[in-house]
Amino acid sequence: MNKFTEDDLKKELETKEYEYGFYTDIEADKFPVGLSEEVVIAISKKKNEPDWMTKWRLEAFKVWSEMKEPDWANVNYEKPKFQDISYYSAPVQKKKLDSLDEVDPELLKTFEKLGISIDEQKRLSNVAVDIVIDSVSVATTFKKTLNERGIIFMPISEAIQEHPELVKKYLGTIVPTTDNFYAALNSAVFSDGSFCYIPKGVTCPMELSTYFRINEGGTGQFERTLVIADKGSYVSYLEGCTAPARDENQLHAAVVELIALDDAEIKYSTVQNWFPGNKEGKGGIYNFVTKRGLCEKNAKISWTQVETGSAVTWKYPSCILKGDNSVGEFYSIAVTNNFQQADTGTKMIHLGNNTRSTIISKGVSAGKSQNSYRGLVQISPRAKNARNFSQCDSLLMGDQCGAHTFPYIECKNNSAQIEHEATTSKIGEDQLFYCNQRGIDTEKAIALIVNGFSKEVLNKLPMEFAVEAQKLLEISLEGSVG
Amino acid sequence: MDLKEKLVSSFLAFENKGGLDLDSNVHDIRLKAIQNFEDEGFPSKKDEEWRYTNLKPLLKHDFSLFPITNDAVGFKNIKDYLINEIESYTLIFIDGVFSSFLSDTTHDECDVCVISSALTRPKYKMVIDNYFNTIAKENNSLSDLNTAFTKEGAFINIPKNTIVPKPIQILNFSTGSEKEVMLQPRNLVVVGENSHVQIIERHQNLSKNTTLTNSVTEIFVHKRAIVDYYKIQNDTENSSLIDSTFVSQKMQSVASVHTYSFGGKMTRNNLEFYQEGEHITSNLNGISILNNKQHVDNHTLVNHKFPNCESHELYKGIYADKSTGVFNGKVIVQQAAQKTNAFQQNNNILIDNGATINAKPQLEIFADDVKCSHGCTIGQLDEDALFYMQSRGIPKNEAIALLLYAFGNDVVEKIKIPQLKSRISKLIAENLGVNLGFEL
Amino acid sequence: MLEIKNLHAGIDDKNILNGINLSINAGEVHAIMGPNGSGKSTLSSVIAGNETYEVTEGDVLLDNKSLLELAPEERAHKGIFLSFQYPVEIPGVTTTNFIKTAINEKRKANGLEDLPAKDMLKLIREKSELLEMDRKFLSRSLNEGFSGGEKKRNEIFQMAMLEPKLAILDETDSGLDIDALKVVANGVNKLRSKDNAVVVITHYQRLLDYIVPDFVHVLHNGKIVKSGGKELALELEKKGYDWLK
Repeated sequence: MNKFTEDDLKKELETKEYEYGFYTDIEADKFPVGLSEEVVIAISKKKNEPDWMTKWRLEAFKVWSEMKEPDWANVNYEKPKFQDISYYSAPVQKKKLDSLDEVDPELLKTFEKLGISIDEQKRLSNVAVDIVIDSVSVATTFKKTLNERGIIFMPISEAIQEHPELVKKYLGTIVPTTDNFYAALNSAVFSDGSFCYIPKGVTCPMELSTYFRINEGGTGQFERTLVIADKGSYVSYLEGCTAPARDENQLHAAVVELIALDDAEIKYSTVQNWFPGNKEGKGGIYNFVTKRGLCEKNAKISWTQVETGSAVTWKYPSCILKGDNSVGEFYSIAVTNNFQQADTGTKMIHLGNNTRSTIISKGVSAGKSQNSYRGLVQISPRAKNARNFSQCDSLLMGDQCGAHTFPYIECKNNSAQIEHEATTSKIGEDQLFYCNQRGIDTEKAIALIVNGFSKEVLNKLPMEFAVEAQKLLEISLEGSVG
Repeated sequence: MDLKEKLVSSFLAFENKGGLDLDSNVHDIRLKAIQNFEDEGFPSKKDEEWRYTNLKPLLKHDFSLFPITNDAVGFKNIKDYLINEIESYTLIFIDGVFSSFLSDTTHDECDVCVISSALTRPKYKMVIDNYFNTIAKENNSLSDLNTAFTKEGAFINIPKNTIVPKPIQILNFSTGSEKEVMLQPRNLVVVGENSHVQIIERHQNLSKNTTLTNSVTEIFVHKRAIVDYYKIQNDTENSSLIDSTFVSQKMQSVASVHTYSFGGKMTRNNLEFYQEGEHITSNLNGISILNNKQHVDNHTLVNHKFPNCESHELYKGIYADKSTGVFNGKVIVQQAAQKTNAFQQNNNILIDNGATINAKPQLEIFADDVKCSHGCTIGQLDEDALFYMQSRGIPKNEAIALLLYAFGNDVVEKIKIPQLKSRISKLIAENLGVNLGFEL
Repeated sequence: MLEIKNLHAGIDDKNILNGINLSINAGEVHAIMGPNGSGKSTLSSVIAGNETYEVTEGDVLLDNKSLLELAPEERAHKGIFLSFQYPVEIPGVTTTNFIKTAINEKRKANGLEDLPAKDMLKLIREKSELLEMDRKFLSRSLNEGFSGGEKKRNEIFQMAMLEPKLAILDETDSGLDIDALKVVANGVNKLRSKDNAVVVITHYQRLLDYIVPDFVHVLHNGKIVKSGGKELALELEKKGYDWLK
């Protein structure tokens, strides 16, 4: 019978090419490989940074030099050779750009391939986009509309120049340079990223979005994002990531810091689709990211992530629920295929009274991949009436992959209520036959079932992203149709 | 000299005293074990498996490793700790030394005797060679330490097709003959095909002196055999226990280990199940009721290696005052173990602010056609139920105690020996201050 | 329309169907009855293409073309519909989304464009009213947490949406109370036309009071041992199956 079996699907999955794996031929200004104090200083100089910034970087570099790369995560990979990476690569631009019309046409083509035609976006949807290629922010749209409300949304390199008081006040307060190996590295060498400040009481009228792309070979990308929501403000922030297919592994070590002051709310969504490596597990991005947010009184931070890319992912978007009545949320769907490895989850640190957190984590493993959830729920002795609900569900496709759950629950207050649940399942033969009988082929049926499985997370994404994320899930699992 | 050095340097003296044939396998095993221990040392909090339990303060004591035995202990001193209401075989150890006077052993249908004789008599050589130290985890410094100093403990060897007619009670007493004593009992249980045995184990300090017990038990459960193993941990406040129990199961066998932790200063239970065949059932039940500064750490592992097996794990904890509970349950389902059903549940109640629970329920799944779940809750008593009871005139404290008792009850319900069940119920009631009023 | 010729099928070397012959024409309703284990559900599974069962001999033809080499979804595209005895739950996938996918896949297979959303909604409204379905079920996860009756009603709703050529109702009456049974039967009757056919598989004749068959066949040990008109069902009800053995 010519029925599309799970074996066929597996084969297709293996041969599925990475859809975003193209390389843009743009002239790049790239540093020689290697990392030293001189390189750190050079990066800082290149960016024309003030002294305090250079000092900050150098301190971070010093800390990093004394740190060891962590190995507690449930992932195996060849450790990056930190002296073989170029720590700065920027598309060469003749002058500072004033409008999109002046952007390198090659670059614009890249955006189109990425599915972000900036023009289209500008006209049709209500999204302001900042794009970081390799290490440098190349375009920020919608500046004018945002300016009118006092919202600052610009590359962090510019923010260091134009709003040093804000950057100085908050940078490194949530993720200190000493936090971990990759955060220290990032602090020393980050070259760009996005900066966002929402003034008191302002509701940001549109989604803010950053697209990250690693283009040049042999480079690392170390972007730094800082989002500050002042008292009573609201912002929804989106982040998308892609990289071209390359044989060697490339390092991406970003740091994201969120600060939600009293009564503020930050919704931070990520669709991560870094190149996952080919079907033999060659190449792909090492995605070692530190993301953390701080909630003051009555504030709320919500992380939503759709992770389909990267060869190795190491990522735990976290919330420090410092203020009373603050709320932390984490919604994640992580899909791994072929030889991908993901160790991802969240930390919810309850410090204030009546703090609440919700964790919904969905993992889909296929091929020979390993997918781990690692999470921490911590209730401090002072945090009265803290609540947490966690749910971790795994879906396995085939018997070559693994799904793992490592939740840590540490409770030191007797008024806390914590519930954690985890389940593991597969797509049932009976479910597939039922779909087949209604005329839905196996490939489509799997996509449908995986989408159903991920629904609670997909529902949390802003509309513009939900559709893209859904497609991404299908692509990573389904193979091309026909 | 710190404890590690003391132990390592005492090893030679110990081996010489033991009067063992230095050419025997056991000697080689010991030698390797002490070397491993010397390399690894005691685990520290940096070790992921020990992040919530700190041994350091405990290791500061100047333990005597070969205590003098107190001969004066008689039946009247120990009878309260026996389950008297049932006929049973008993193995009584006083300060690490077997008391034949107080014990009731057998060699009739099966061997219920001591490991010291099994290790030395040619008759048991094959059993020892086949089983001894084969599943006690290698490179685990604490079980290595026990292996190196293995001298005494229970030896239970049940041939096939034998229903052991009465339960076996293993009791380890320390008498306080030394100010600070470290004991290392070692048990070996081999249960043949189609056989059935029930075992109750208890460690008890009869004095106020300090005791650290580092106990290791290996249990082998053959085809279709059934083993029920009950651990009563209700020791005094100066007693600490590190218990490592390893269970290896063959096809269609059922093994259950029940752990009741009410007493002691620090208790660490390492409980590991290895399934070596199809259609195996493993049951792990536990309840901890702690107060003051007590610390209980339940570390469990179920390793599913073959298809069509099950595991059921239920641990409950009630923590008062400044006590700390740890639950670290790991379930591994290997690639070949399709159609596995693995369930794990951990429910906790913190009574007082100051009490802590650290839970880490882990699943590691490498097979797709499996049903695995874990649940973990931390919470309080049902306020509505409490109010309801109060409105019926039951004083609040009593109502709380009754609700807590009910919370723990489904673990107690799994006890298959009625007399033991009522004893455990009483212990729970005592610990919670519930007046049962009548026999349940 | 449907021709079953000397059909032998089984599972794991165990024979269940031992030579079934049956001819169904457009516009007809056939009832297949028989005791437990007679092979009723196997027959419906084999027609729908469930690969759990292996066909060892014989053929099944739809409009003179063999179905046996076709995947279940291809059979569905050609108009075979099976109302499951135990409808499957698919968490997170709403009934609406599911039926939308099913309809558009069928249209795609037949060279048609996707049905515009507006028409889809209209169709859904129309058919759900026919089955007196509470609209809220449509936005719930498919069959998840549905009662037995709700699941069966949902099956017939899908049948109404897909407008199959040949509908096989496998024990659709089980788990239904009398009111639900009437609604379901009423739905089926309204869908009957001269161009389609219905096969009702049932243990009891209860459902046949409401969906009146043109032919009744009795299945026993994987063979049709007796065929007749609707009065045969009543006879079976009275006498049981033993007299046929």
